[in-house]
Amino acid sequence: MNWEPNIIAATTEIFSTMLMMEVVPEPALSERVTKHNDSISGIIGLAGSYKGMLAIHAPAPVAMTITTNFLGMEVDSLNDDVKDAFGELANMLGGSVKSGLSENSRDIQLSIPSAVCGEEYTLDYQPKNRTTSVPFKTGEGTFVVELQLEKQE
Amino acid sequence: MDFSNAISESTSDVFSTMVMLDAIPGSPLAEKVLSFSDSITGMLGFSGDIRGILRIHCPNPVAMAITGNLLGMEVTEMDEDVRDAIGEIANMVAGGLKTLLARENYAVELSIPSAIGGKTYTIHRLARAANVTVPFALEAGQMLVELEYLGTT
Repeated sequence: MNWEPNIIAATTEIFSTMLMMEVVPEPALSERVTKHNDSISGIIGLAGSYKGMLAIHAPAPVAMTITTNFLGMEVDSLNDDVKDAFGELANMLGGSVKSGLSENSRDIQLSIPSAVCGEEYTLDYQPKNRTTSVPFKTGEGTFVVELQLEKQE
Repeated sequence: MDFSNAISESTSDVFSTMVMLDAIPGSPLAEKVLSFSDSITGMLGFSGDIRGILRIHCPNPVAMAITGNLLGMEVTEMDEDVRDAIGEIANMVAGGLKTLLARENYAVELSIPSAIGGKTYTIHRLARAANVTVPFALEAGQMLVELEYLGTT
């Protein structure tokens, strides 16, 4: 399954309406990126009629620019504001993907968001199929939105 | 509902029947653990009557011991087997919790397991979510099982 249209629709919607930022989607990655350096990842789980997870990964400078746009304040490190912003971004992207998939908002439910950051970390999940990663270009650099989702019978 | 007891029960069950390793629960920690070094964290988001995330934090030697026992082979590095195994442990413990929650009339749906690992990483939680962390003593070191949740009164 290719989730590229779902990722692009959700990400451009949230970035244009909530962050007033123009982001340009690039072709989906042929292989997902597992390892992250000096980065932050916002993560949220989806459960119900579709089951999976969504993550947004950004290198530190991109994450700080996004947070500045989001919160309207200057940030100069990956502080709690950036971590809150990335958890909330994952939450909003998850909400947007969810409403694109089902008209009944109770069919798919979101877990609570969390954020992970660090000098060097990996993120893996199972199952490893039915996953799509789309990079988005900003003035400051590129971030990636990743969606793994499976329809439940 | 006493979540620390539910965590102990579900984790002990998985360790005695699936992993076949002694894991002795201790008293719940007073504070959240934010940063991890040379460790891996298995995570599983869930939603429904309670929304939250279950996390299992293991220092590398603990993670390799668990994986070795689970797969019945010697594990000497933090490879994909370990990342999959620790995600799977989170999945099994969350499955047990789901059953315990159902007995208290809380219905929850699970998302998919993921694993974060690395040299140094920080996990950021929602400020408004409740948190229970139970330490478990294993021969190879200490494992933490954490439940972060919203939605019960």
